[in-house]
Amino acid sequence: MAQNSAKGDDFINKEPLQEKKEAEEQTAAAESKQKEEDFGYGLYPERSSSKFKQGSIGESLFTFKHKCHIMLQVAMDTIYKDRHFSCEDCDGTVSGGFDAATSQIVLCQNNIHQQAHMNRVVTHELIHAFDHCRARVDWFSNFRHLACSEIRAANLSGDCSFVNEISRFNFGLKEHHQACVRGRALRSILAVRKVSREEAEQVVDEVFDSCFHDHAPFGRIPHNKKDAKFAYRDYENRDRYYANL
Amino acid sequence: MAGSHSNWRPPRSCDVYWCEFKHCKSLFNRFHEYYTYGRAPDCQQWKEDYYTCKEWEKTHSTHAKESLQESERKRVAEQRKFTPVWELRQTPPADWHVPLNQGGPHDS
Repeated sequence: MAQNSAKGDDFINKEPLQEKKEAEEQTAAAESKQKEEDFGYGLYPERSSSKFKQGSIGESLFTFKHKCHIMLQVAMDTIYKDRHFSCEDCDGTVSGGFDAATSQIVLCQNNIHQQAHMNRVVTHELIHAFDHCRARVDWFSNFRHLACSEIRAANLSGDCSFVNEISRFNFGLKEHHQACVRGRALRSILAVRKVSREEAEQVVDEVFDSCFHDHAPFGRIPHNKKDAKFAYRDYENRDRYYANL
Repeated sequence: MAGSHSNWRPPRSCDVYWCEFKHCKSLFNRFHEYYTYGRAPDCQQWKEDYYTCKEWEKTHSTHAKESLQESERKRVAEQRKFTPVWELRQTPPADWHVPLNQGGPHDS
């Protein structure tokens, strides 16, 4: 649900620190500046280096990678997409992310244990991937773009469904969906960027009206399977639709 | 657009209009409209479009055709009633399909 952007250089720093005081200070200052903004990569330690070698026994015994792959297959209902999906261990409670630098969806195998959850995370991240593919989104330096995609992902993925909100003990009814979308977009931004809450709230407010009403590619907010089925039917019918407008 | 009047047909098949109408009026949808927008859904247009569609099937009248077109164009306009935050692309990003280097650490 959190989102990644440009790779931070933090992980590659293998040069030894110099003895001279000035150089030390310089390096320390540079390092602290880099540490200030890691674009959320800290949440996804396996993006830069993996604990177990790919395909090793250790990996199959000590991680949830296999389970993650199976659940992903069920969610996608197709062949496993090697290129655009990656099952990894993540930090904390984050469930997934979209790495714009590699155009890859990250699924947190240690934090997703139920198929319904997997379905929702895949949908959420696919919306980010869809935005990345169809628009010139500047994930790294344009907060409005980041906020917009988070609003859309929270809105259209089922994150804010009535049932999900109840399960989080967020009881609300009238227009609660919008309040939930705002809140979750805010949380996602704060998880991956070093900004103040006020700043994040301001950006979300600025773009909310535009992005909440952008329902691409569904043409509606899919609240259940029937909505999704109708949206897909519209998609299959699109040639006839636009030809006869 | 083909242009020829005889090639035109309704943007959706008539039963789809009825389907959408029933779906719109369902309890589930009414609940979600309230949950999302705090109001009741407006389903009347789907019903009218269904009858217009049926009328066109029977009579092929220009009035029915134009009525349907106007209704659908309004729907499309509603869908686009926001200023996009970003610029849309013509093609996917250049590195979308570039194979990944799965071995060592990423270079920036």
